[in-house]
Amino acid sequence: MTAIALEGLEKAYGTTPVVRGLTLEVREGELVTLLGPSGCGKTTTLRMIAGLEHPDAGVIRMGGEVVAGPGIRVPPERRGLGMVFQSYAVWPHRSVEANVAYPLALQGMPKAELASRVREALRWVRLEALASRMPHALSGGQLQRVALARALVAGPKVLLLDEPLSNLDAALREELRAEIAALRARLGTTMVFVTHDQGEALALSDRIAVMNLGVIEQLDAPERLYREPGTPFVASFVGGANVLTGEVEQGVFHCAGLPHAFVLPPGLHARNGSATLVVRPEDLELGAEGTELPLSARLFLGHAAEYRFPLGDTLLRAVGPVLDVRPGQTLRVRVRKARLFGAE
Amino acid sequence: MSASLSMLVEEGGALASTLGVSLGASGLAFVLGTPLAILLFRTDLALRGVFVALFTLPSAVPPFIWGMGWLSLASPRAGYLNRFFGEGTFDIYGAGGIAFVMGLSGLPLVLLAGAAALRRVDPALDEAARVCGATPLRALLTTTLPLALPSLLSGAVMVLLMTASAFGVPYLLGVSATPPTRVLTTRIYELVLLGGEGSLTRALVLSSALVLLAPVALLATWALGRAGRVRLSAGKGLSPRTLSLGRARGPLSLAVGAVCAGLVLLPLGAVALTSIQRSFGAELSWESLTFAHWTGVLLANRTLDAAGRSLVLSVGAGALVCALGLASAVLRRRFRRLGPAVEALAVWPYAIPGTVLALALLVAFSRDVRFILLDRVAFVLALAHTPWLLLLAYVVKHLALGARNSTEALAQVDVSLAEAARVSGAGPVRAFVDALLPLLRPALLAAFVLTFLVCVTEITMSVLLIPAGSEVLGTLLFELQSYADPASAAVLACALVVLVLLGQGALAGVRRRLPGERA
Repeated sequence: MTAIALEGLEKAYGTTPVVRGLTLEVREGELVTLLGPSGCGKTTTLRMIAGLEHPDAGVIRMGGEVVAGPGIRVPPERRGLGMVFQSYAVWPHRSVEANVAYPLALQGMPKAELASRVREALRWVRLEALASRMPHALSGGQLQRVALARALVAGPKVLLLDEPLSNLDAALREELRAEIAALRARLGTTMVFVTHDQGEALALSDRIAVMNLGVIEQLDAPERLYREPGTPFVASFVGGANVLTGEVEQGVFHCAGLPHAFVLPPGLHARNGSATLVVRPEDLELGAEGTELPLSARLFLGHAAEYRFPLGDTLLRAVGPVLDVRPGQTLRVRVRKARLFGAE
Repeated sequence: MSASLSMLVEEGGALASTLGVSLGASGLAFVLGTPLAILLFRTDLALRGVFVALFTLPSAVPPFIWGMGWLSLASPRAGYLNRFFGEGTFDIYGAGGIAFVMGLSGLPLVLLAGAAALRRVDPALDEAARVCGATPLRALLTTTLPLALPSLLSGAVMVLLMTASAFGVPYLLGVSATPPTRVLTTRIYELVLLGGEGSLTRALVLSSALVLLAPVALLATWALGRAGRVRLSAGKGLSPRTLSLGRARGPLSLAVGAVCAGLVLLPLGAVALTSIQRSFGAELSWESLTFAHWTGVLLANRTLDAAGRSLVLSVGAGALVCALGLASAVLRRRFRRLGPAVEALAVWPYAIPGTVLALALLVAFSRDVRFILLDRVAFVLALAHTPWLLLLAYVVKHLALGARNSTEALAQVDVSLAEAARVSGAGPVRAFVDALLPLLRPALLAAFVLTFLVCVTEITMSVLLIPAGSEVLGTLLFELQSYADPASAAVLACALVVLVLLGQGALAGVRRRLPGERA
């Protein structure tokens, strides 16, 4: 069953297009992540699903019913959603309890039932003990859990999460990520998650939609997305891959406008002609064979080291075992594995 | 055009006095305010908190009341100071006296502008000067002071504008001086009272001259503000280190205390003393003190009447200012293009001198205004000679307080708070009321109290607009002081000072609850 269907969504702010013909189906109970750099239109897309923005063109269906389209504009309060904001948006003049109770109070729920539902929601996010606190006495992680409880208390079919972890420090982010996964397993709510953090997206999602310049570049399960990026952009955004443009000539890749060339691995059957070479840092090998490149920096990562080589006006990044080398030294770099994209 | 110009030439005296008095007042405020600002906000002077509170008091109490205080102290014959030092030692009447009283009334403007700048000057700049070998005093004079100077000067420009628009003090100390000192505002008042087509035209010409001062002064402050863009302190907890006064601390604290007592407490004390003296000018003795004036004035029907009217008008003005200010802030947020125009419309009247605004309303509503909608419904707005014209004046003049407070408060609240309410199931109005309004309430309350306090003691517009036969507290104070006995006026002044202090106390309480102050 399809929970949310977006068909040909368009949105521009003034003359700047933000979302350009976006189509996406989210199945019931699924967690789909919109992943992309800032300005790619992911938050705008989420806000259109919520009803906080209206698409210039296209149709949004929820549970088979059109909620936004030509002549139809169901306001956010009648879409029956839950939403968690990046800024928490916990009302500072209401206690934790009152914040969580608000959606139920709007439905006119009887007091006793309301109280027990609020208690239950607070238990989901482990905040029962803080029910009567005011928001200013809470930490960022606790505030975001209040927001989570408030978004889920009315039992929405769909939960929208707008970069909910970005304002938290690393440890809290990890903790809340686990909590969202656990809540999902328990409640089976359909979720649309917006983030610019590939780690978050890979860990949480059933499917990831990588967005760039207002369109979805690739929609796939995390593993597949990582292993088989469909475009150079996806490869560089999701795996931090090096993206080089140039020409292929009989198994050798010549960088455009540079004297450097790389021998392609034997498995890669490449046509001759212009192409884009995508290599992950861990797929570059430093050793006795390969292209000679001057090292500009070595970053010690603990279990490995990152090596940087200037390549025209970009940097080639390789990750491998820690070697005793110094910047300025010349090293040999071999491409062990790579993907080639034909020139467009 | 040439007729207007020749009128201006004829009134050259009023124009020159206005300029002279304003320059004198702003000069005094600047000369007194600059060392005071440094002593109060950058050194370890004793009792700084008390001094700051006392020195900013003049902005809360209407200048007219300070004028009354100085009149009881330094009127040439009966003033308390002259009775002590010998008749005729001081004379508060005339241009010098007006500039003196207005300069002291405007002192807080310079002090507060200076405080804001001094707080923003990066202490690292001062420390860099110290490391280069400058003594603390030299570092202060060569680094901090030049950086704070533009703000101090812009405070002085505000004093200039305030003095040029002042009416009560120039009337009190100028009109009955020998020879009388007439400034633009008091001259306009005389012309309007005189009535007749010619006088009114002349009043309008003078108003145009006066109103031109506002843009010139605003331009000057804007230019100074640009020059004074001071680097913000970097990082938290880097509060400017206070300069240790060392051995000079005791004597300097005493000196500031003496200045404070002389300039702030003495005139207020004089008003209080006048209010309990049997008759002003009589010999001072314990037997001559009486509370008869207090009961006589405060319980008089005339006073109660005026108080009731002032209360209704000021509460009404406060409420309307808040409502319209909020509306303009919301419009500004909703409609990017139209919004700033609406806000400018709300803020501009604040810079127009009260006398000019009152005269403009007087002329605009001298005939009934009729709207006819769709050829059918007719609205007749007959405001002339009713207190409602005064209400309109109060609201228009102080709309800026509501608009600015609302805009600032609205800018500080996160829009997603309202969006969270929408997603939770609230309609747009409900979301605004539930999620945003509670957060705006302290700012609106502050705007309300501020507007109320200003309107309840307002004199300038009230004397021009209040219909004959009815009075408000401001005009009553003006009448009692100008035409009746100083003792009764002093009683009313004391009562108003108490009211203002209570209101300021409430305001301080409200401000503590403003968003952003909480951190």
